[in-house]
Amino acid sequence: MMLWVRVAVAVMIAIAAAYYSAQAQGPEAARSVEATPRLADGTPNLGRVPGEKGVWDVPYIQNMGMRIPGPDGKTAAERANPGAARGGAKAEPDVPFLPWSRAIYDYNSRNNSKYDPEGYCLPPGGPRMMATPYPMEIIQQPEHKRVFMVFEGATHIWREIYMDGRAHPQGDELNPTYLGHSVGRWDGDALVVDVVGFNENTWLDYFGHPHTDLLHVVERFTRPNKATLHYEASIDDPGAYSRPWTVSWNIPWSAESELTEYICQENNKYLQKLTDDFGEPLLR
Amino acid sequence: MRTKLLGAALGVGLWLAAVPVVAHHSFAAEFDADKPFKLTGVVTKIEWQNPHTFFYLDITDERTKKVTNWAFEMGSPNGLMRNGWTRNTLKVGDVVTVEGSLARDGMPYGNARTVILTSTGKRLFAASSQGANP
Repeated sequence: MMLWVRVAVAVMIAIAAAYYSAQAQGPEAARSVEATPRLADGTPNLGRVPGEKGVWDVPYIQNMGMRIPGPDGKTAAERANPGAARGGAKAEPDVPFLPWSRAIYDYNSRNNSKYDPEGYCLPPGGPRMMATPYPMEIIQQPEHKRVFMVFEGATHIWREIYMDGRAHPQGDELNPTYLGHSVGRWDGDALVVDVVGFNENTWLDYFGHPHTDLLHVVERFTRPNKATLHYEASIDDPGAYSRPWTVSWNIPWSAESELTEYICQENNKYLQKLTDDFGEPLLR
Repeated sequence: MRTKLLGAALGVGLWLAAVPVVAHHSFAAEFDADKPFKLTGVVTKIEWQNPHTFFYLDITDERTKKVTNWAFEMGSPNGLMRNGWTRNTLKVGDVVTVEGSLARDGMPYGNARTVILTSTGKRLFAASSQGANP
């Protein structure tokens, strides 16, 4: 056998061995390759299979700057330890800050996100909805041409994504809101959601990347297998960034979980104690 | 009752392994991951509420015998229940040992990572708001 054929065979055997050993690692590994569930018409089912429980176990993505896929398709978080210390804007050359957003981001870095709106029990907006670590469910209603996303946290919120082909409201008809106005469509097996109409009361992430009401987010949700929701979002905000940038991560399926009640506003001692930069209470 | 403040000996490495269950507010703005503590006291009050469950301990200083009421923050009731707690896991009068991070402002206040019930020795994860990236 020629050398390259031998090498190729050896590589294939190694890949196959790695694949089967991953499968043999237990039920967790075996579940990860269960096929994408589908609705009767073949559309991917991004939610529960009838008769089963399950929620999406949204991960704690603290810094979108670490989730930008590079030329190799991998994000900084996948290449290295995501636990890197906070280095401010200068540590994130891939985030196309404008001067003011750079300054605000550095301020939020220096004070350890003291004024994070989520700390006030305000909801996440944009991609941070998929980065705030509370369970989430996706409920498809093709008969009503809509998709719901129901979030246990950060503030017990839901999103309605219009799948009926409507356009975003124009001009003053578009009322700025925390979660924005979402219209969706299927692009093959990907649910593509176009979102505009955000207010400016949220941050893009815990680390404090700011945004303006010009923010336009395009999200792609795919379920490559039953256990994984792949999330991708392009962040286009000419008010805060010089060009669009894209972030992505995976959201694992938690097969035995269900949503429960979470009312953040109940006893928010953090806000009660929060002081401004001069040491004065924020709430009087 | 003993009051014991462990220094850096407890090690930061152990903390980073903690799975973040809730992330309501900035951990680092309020607590110092480099100031771990281990304290034992008597439960005086429990606030089983969102966004964080709080409990309070009367802790007696070993040397001065002075009693101080400390507050400890844990995760949300949901996060705690997903980690095996119920609203009756801690009761007023229970003696417990708490490990976690001290508040930056120097007040008798900390973020609990684990709670150990003295009567049974049972170790409970406190669904800390500390992430992998404080």
